[in-house]
Amino acid sequence: MSHLLLRLAAARPVLLDGAMGTELMARGLPRGACPEAWNLDRPEAVAAVHADYFAAGSDVVSTNTFGGSRIKLAGHGLDGRTCEINAAAARLARGAAPAGKFVAGSMGPTGKFLKPQGEFTEEEFEGSFAEQARGLADGGADILLLETHYDLREALAGVRAARRVTDVPVFVTMTFNAHRRGFFTLMGDGVAKCAAELERAGAAAVGANCTLNSGEMVGVIKAFEETTGLPLVAQANAGQPVLGADGSVAYSQSLDDYVKHVPALVEAGARFVGGCCGTGPAHIRAMARFVVKEGGTA
Amino acid sequence: MKDDLYRSMKEAIVAGDRARSAALAEEAVQGGLDLLEVIEKGYVPGIQEVGRLWEEGEYFLPELITSAEAMKRAMAVLEPELARRSLKARTGGKVVIGTVEGDIHDIGKNLVASMLQAGGFEVHDLGVDVRLDRFVETAEAVGADFICLSALLTTTMTNQRRLIAMLREKGLRDKYKVLVGGAPANAKWAEEIGADGYAENAVAAVKLAKSLAGQG
Repeated sequence: MSHLLLRLAAARPVLLDGAMGTELMARGLPRGACPEAWNLDRPEAVAAVHADYFAAGSDVVSTNTFGGSRIKLAGHGLDGRTCEINAAAARLARGAAPAGKFVAGSMGPTGKFLKPQGEFTEEEFEGSFAEQARGLADGGADILLLETHYDLREALAGVRAARRVTDVPVFVTMTFNAHRRGFFTLMGDGVAKCAAELERAGAAAVGANCTLNSGEMVGVIKAFEETTGLPLVAQANAGQPVLGADGSVAYSQSLDDYVKHVPALVEAGARFVGGCCGTGPAHIRAMARFVVKEGGTA
Repeated sequence: MKDDLYRSMKEAIVAGDRARSAALAEEAVQGGLDLLEVIEKGYVPGIQEVGRLWEEGEYFLPELITSAEAMKRAMAVLEPELARRSLKARTGGKVVIGTVEGDIHDIGKNLVASMLQAGGFEVHDLGVDVRLDRFVETAEAVGADFICLSALLTTTMTNQRRLIAMLREKGLRDKYKVLVGGAPANAKWAEEIGADGYAENAVAAVKLAKSLAGQG
């Protein structure tokens, strides 16, 4: 299946999905609960989110496993079920996918630091991601998507882990902040360094997600395009979250403004386009009009 | 001579050289120097320079953490000796800090705690997923000046508002400065919930706390 996805991306921009967590909360995920546990406990709710994104036009949906590494699941006492949870999540997404559509196995950061800033070794991170990657691949993920990574060393450990346990292509999106001298991760890695090292490690596609809005994301994708020949991935936030007096959450970038920048993202070189925090099926539906049309294949 | 030592201390902090930072502190203790002056003229300029480099976008999180660690190593050498001489390093005040209940994110909170400690505050870090009443209990027990609340989720940042309400109910609101931070928080949110301030990052948090402590 996976080579088909890369072939599709060569023909036209591929549409990913938007946020998962907020969609689960809308379906009753309690505050503080482990979203990944719902792959086992409330599979119908997770499948419904995937189905919504496919119906909105997503070519690829991401599994509900952002926090599904063993180290992250340990925070909820679920580390013993890492493989099971990830496999179940991939099967759920697979089951919701119409023919010709794809599943990306989401792999977010552990939330811990490597030595010397933190307590963990690269081998420990690698082991934690390997278990997750094996579960996702067993469950039928077409690609693995290491996303929202702020530490290049951690992302590289994820790529190595994935490559060790499975042949499915590995995509990586790092999350960048805008600085005067360009875009940098929290740990201080720039776009060119990330692209070069991830490519060397064997990533099939690279790019950016989260933190920045869709307008700011255009600059990051341009910076990637200047430095690598790999297919590029862009999943921007809909601006910043704003909390209403009633506790409701809105995002600072309107749907229209968010979507307005999508052609520029594609123009800049993004071949896989989707959303991140603050985006939902409505964003994907609106983006589908720009993205899928190009190349005349849809 | 003393100026050279101070410059070396500053350089050790800027370079995040923990071993050298501690060795220089040891040298100051052995040499019978005025340790309060050592802190103020040697180490504090170092951590201030680190903050400047961070603001300039030259330093990132790893540098901030290693420099804060280097500062801690020096203070670990200096503080027992200060105590022995019945002296106390100038403190910005006592801080109770933690990530609010329902939220297990700790990167930002840890960084703020480290930088506050490096900046001369006495820090009581309660960790993550901290029940709101524990913030209040601890603040009361240690005689805190500041309560710092971190929240990374839009669903948990409301706990920052709830803590302030809890302080009001207990008649303790004016006793503490409440500072909030975390990805979804901003100055407008801090104002809206009646907090005493918001800081966007760890360096800004130290500046804010110092200015509220009258050390700005």
